[in-house]
Amino acid sequence: MGTEVAALLGLAGLGSAFALVSFIVVAWMAWRIVAKAGLPGWTGMGAVLLTLTAVGTIVPLVLLWVFAFMRWPRDEAPLAALGGPLGGQAPGAAPRPSTPGAPTPGAPTALPAPAIALPDRRGWQLTGKLANGSPIALAVDASSAAWLLTGAPPAQPTDLCVPDPSVGQPHARLMIAGNRLGLADLGSPGGTLIDGARLLPEHGPRDITAIRTIRLGSVDLSLSKA
Amino acid sequence: MIVFVAWLLSIGSFLLMMLAIGHFLVALILIIPTWKICVRAGFSGAWALLHLIPVIGAFVVMAILAFGDWPNGEATTE
Repeated sequence: MGTEVAALLGLAGLGSAFALVSFIVVAWMAWRIVAKAGLPGWTGMGAVLLTLTAVGTIVPLVLLWVFAFMRWPRDEAPLAALGGPLGGQAPGAAPRPSTPGAPTPGAPTALPAPAIALPDRRGWQLTGKLANGSPIALAVDASSAAWLLTGAPPAQPTDLCVPDPSVGQPHARLMIAGNRLGLADLGSPGGTLIDGARLLPEHGPRDITAIRTIRLGSVDLSLSKA
Repeated sequence: MIVFVAWLLSIGSFLLMMLAIGHFLVALILIIPTWKICVRAGFSGAWALLHLIPVIGAFVVMAILAFGDWPNGEATTE
């Protein structure tokens, strides 16, 4: 009798240990998934830990649905990933006077500040030809901070359709920060080249303001100011 | 005796069927949001169908999302 009880207790202990390890792993994975979407990782882990409380699995289930359909911070702020001197003086801002205070009598007076250059608010355009020979022209402007290059028909106003089978759905993301244009490859099998250099997803967003051509799959597009 | 075994088998079959239907319904509640998450991450939504596999299905989907590189990009970690 004692052996059977010991075996049962051992089985229960093994099951509990397995459940505990599984729980920790799931909480860790939830942390990583939520963090990849741009949310604080502890929210994902907290949702999993809620299953330990009296609310059971209902609340985490609701949170799963909310997470699936909410706006993710990852989709909202791609500009920060561009890096570089995006900060500093805003375009069009008044220049700081070089000599503070009133000029002393007899001293040479400072020249008036130069006229403020108007910021270049022109957008960019991508032009080229598809594999079937038909021309394509895409316009990108600062009305949106991020644009999606895709081979699928545009589902949103910020989708730029390149109707070619070699172009992924989606293929790459364009980002605008001031007068700079960035491009991030999204891992499409067709690949992305900027002036002949391969852009991989792990490279992250690259500044292509001075780039002349980009290649999406087998489609070459020339980049120029609109 | 035979009647008892037949009764036992029928009860077992019924419970098994109820269990399968219950699992399918729960999996359906999980598949829909997981499908959406997979698509937004850049994976095929069909990965969410792994929820239909009992016990380990959900683990596998979570592992793909947690440890795979998202084709549509990930939030940069500070």
